[in-house]
Amino acid sequence: MVKRKLGALEKVEADLPNLQHKIRRDPKSYIEDFRAQHYQYESHREIYMAAPSSATDTGLISLRDLIDFISHVADCYPGICKDFPQQLIDMLMQHHLVLETELREKLVGSLVLLKKKDLLDSATLLHTLFPILISTPSKTLRALLFQKILSELRTANSKTTNHKLNRTMQTVLFNLVTSDRTSAKGLWAIKITRELWKRQIWTEAKAVEVMKEAALSQNEKVIIGGVRFFLGGDKEREELEDEDSEEEVNVGQVKHQLTINKKTRKKARTAEKAIKAVRNKERKKGNPSPLNFSALHLLHDPQGFAENMFFKHLQNGKSNLKLEQKLQVLQLVSRLVGLHKLHIMPLYSYFQKFLTPRQPSVTSFLASLAQASHDLVPPDVLEPLVQKIANEFVSEASAGEVATAGLNAIREICVRQPLAIEETLLQDLVMYKKSKDKGVMMASKGLLSLYRDVGAQMLKKRDRGKEAAMSLRAGERQERRYGEQAVGEIEGLELLAKWKDEERRKKNIENGLPSDAEDNEEENDEADWAAWNVEDDEDSDVDGEWINVEDDADIVLSDSEDEGKPASKKAKQEEEDKKEADKEIDFMKLATTRILTPADLAKLTELRAQAAANATLPGNKGRVAAPWTSRHTDDPLTAGEIEGLAALSAAKATREERIAHAREGKTDRSEHMSKEARRKERKEEQGKSTTNKEKARKKNFLMTLGKARSKNKRSLVETRAVLRAHVDRGKRGGRRGNVGQ
Amino acid sequence: MSKITVAGVRQNVENLLNYSHNEKKRNFTETVELQIGLKNYDPQRDKRFSGTIKLPSVPRPNMAICILGDQHDLDRAKHHNIDAMSVDDLKKLNKNKKLIKKLARKYDAFLASEGLIKQIPRLLGPGLSKAGKFPTPVSHAEDMAAKVTDVKSTIKFQLKKVLCLGVAIGHVEMEKEALVANLMLAINYLVSLLKKGWQNVGSLVIKASMSPPHRVY
Repeated sequence: MVKRKLGALEKVEADLPNLQHKIRRDPKSYIEDFRAQHYQYESHREIYMAAPSSATDTGLISLRDLIDFISHVADCYPGICKDFPQQLIDMLMQHHLVLETELREKLVGSLVLLKKKDLLDSATLLHTLFPILISTPSKTLRALLFQKILSELRTANSKTTNHKLNRTMQTVLFNLVTSDRTSAKGLWAIKITRELWKRQIWTEAKAVEVMKEAALSQNEKVIIGGVRFFLGGDKEREELEDEDSEEEVNVGQVKHQLTINKKTRKKARTAEKAIKAVRNKERKKGNPSPLNFSALHLLHDPQGFAENMFFKHLQNGKSNLKLEQKLQVLQLVSRLVGLHKLHIMPLYSYFQKFLTPRQPSVTSFLASLAQASHDLVPPDVLEPLVQKIANEFVSEASAGEVATAGLNAIREICVRQPLAIEETLLQDLVMYKKSKDKGVMMASKGLLSLYRDVGAQMLKKRDRGKEAAMSLRAGERQERRYGEQAVGEIEGLELLAKWKDEERRKKNIENGLPSDAEDNEEENDEADWAAWNVEDDEDSDVDGEWINVEDDADIVLSDSEDEGKPASKKAKQEEEDKKEADKEIDFMKLATTRILTPADLAKLTELRAQAAANATLPGNKGRVAAPWTSRHTDDPLTAGEIEGLAALSAAKATREERIAHAREGKTDRSEHMSKEARRKERKEEQGKSTTNKEKARKKNFLMTLGKARSKNKRSLVETRAVLRAHVDRGKRGGRRGNVGQ
Repeated sequence: MSKITVAGVRQNVENLLNYSHNEKKRNFTETVELQIGLKNYDPQRDKRFSGTIKLPSVPRPNMAICILGDQHDLDRAKHHNIDAMSVDDLKKLNKNKKLIKKLARKYDAFLASEGLIKQIPRLLGPGLSKAGKFPTPVSHAEDMAAKVTDVKSTIKFQLKKVLCLGVAIGHVEMEKEALVANLMLAINYLVSLLKKGWQNVGSLVIKASMSPPHRVY
């Protein structure tokens, strides 16, 4: 009896959650209670700090409870709790190895809580947690700390970018990676950087620099972590962004559902949340687009980095990377070389020994080699490599897949450096277009059509094709020399000029003017700028475009003219003169005297597409644009592309693999279903109601059983009553009808 | 600004020239630059663009050009009074990074004889292409003076690590018409390079070396 009372008393006193609740409501009047608890905490703490390993269970539990309590109400008594955060930090830093797990977790959680209450700044918090993260042997603690650090950095950057914190953290990570190059601790730097990069919290060069140092470290795990980041980090980021944008909420639907179903507070809350999310998203749309350059572009000194990587990990005999790791490094190096047009001459001779069909994962080597070639690589460096590929891979005796891979690789090299192949070799390889093997045939044709574009004179006369032969004869084409940069021009400008000229003539004839009369162009311009988002079918908006061949003085003149009237005699005379000149000037005049409006640009693309279609029309109709024209230099080349159709060849793949491969291409297609089923599914997804018929059909059979049974047992009178009621109901207009009654 | 007109551009050019000629004449020939700010441009998805175009008139006549050539080209360069270096001179640099960097910094552009250009990466290493000044080939058949003018009048648009770029399109001693023509061509070319045309253009500003900026768009 006595015992029980005592227990109850104790309970009241130690009822910390209750006290916490009271303090929250009225801090001032409970200050004495708090002081008492704080005193208790102090004594417990001192006992613990004196001998952390010999602490008793009860002592630990009460210490834990007290820490929890104080950290929850610390913001009410900032004076008393001034040292509290520092004490926790000390406890954690000094004894994290021997701390009991629950207390340890409580300490970490309390520190984060104190940070939330602004009693601790995030820099100190991170400086506390990070060293423990990299030194503790406990897996659970590491996971906890990692998660806390990430979420801390995310919240610190949620409103605006916290440059100062980011910089200090990046410096810490940088130092971690560079201080000890042989240790695996750099992995934490990689993990944190990669995660923050993925979430677009860190997008600047400093984060890339951390990864660069990681890739140059001596621990293979760290190296591969860094390399993987460069090869895949951007894609990961893109995917995450896509995922985020997919989660769209339809506000109208949410509101509508709120009106139909039972109104609960929970539903109101979810609706509110959805509306808020949408509003946030709208606001974000207006913001300037984030500067998310690819990590490969943000590198400070790509040449130095690529060289270092190459000499340290690939050329160096002492490096103990496995083949597959080496391949990844090689992929990165070659990607950098191709992207930034770097010069690493030993890289090409390094490839030489790997270019045999028996080399494991040779297609990856071939892809890397192709990536590493660009138009500033001296042709005499690439020539022996191309020759070797041709000798080793492409022969009548070699298997179809091998020859295909070889030809594809040669093509990819030549796309980037057309001078890399000799004339005789090219002509030999083109002969494989008659091959029985489909992959070889297609690869060879790819090579052929590439050279029809970039160097028709290297092909035999009969292979050149009509178009290339004609332009060769006319002398329009010239082989690009090494080091020559293509001078750009506004593609299709001459087409636009011609089109405008015709349009003007047409319009003038319609208006009964001499076909070469000038007109005021201003209001046409106006219309063009108004049609900002020009569609493809806006032909009607843009007709009546004028070519402006006026000099500066004439603008005033044409402005003063009345529209649709023939110009004054003097002006006419001037125009006459100008027309003479007009014939002589080339289309460049268009680009140098007026500004292309959005409508002009749309027309330009249209005309260009038309011209391209016309050019290919008489030949093979189903001709698709060559794959290399659509590829941007930023995109990587994969081993799969080198393998080409060989990946699909029957002997290699099982049925499942082939199905999976075929499915890869058509990712957007969902499972096959009838139209009705799909409609129903959509309806269900949108949360729409079902018809009575559907409900009846879906109703549990056992529930319908009773009624069916009782129906059978009805007497004649009952049956009649039911039937009559049915007829009456029909007349009334159904159960809810209001006719009669 | 919602739209750009030919008249507006002319007016701006006139203002700019007026300032540089009459209000604050400087002791050197000011260069006129076109500065471009892009918008709605996602560098990750839209990829970077780069392009070169030849302007109708030379924007910077004082560009320093060096010819790396064989004996024939050296003679021709001497004739045209252009700086030139022979293979031996290049070999003397001994692949010394500092010297090569110095060389790259000294000149704005390089020309190289056709026979020699293939050896340039071996002789000089990555120095020149790192500076974006890899030589342009010139053959014996071509007129060297014309080639030099060609190189001088070619400008390059290249997006680096920021969403703005600037190019020299002329200088203040040029005829107004020529300057306007250069400017228009540069603008039109830039817009044709961009995926979404004018929707990607945030601002266009012209500015002489020491003048206040004039916003064109």
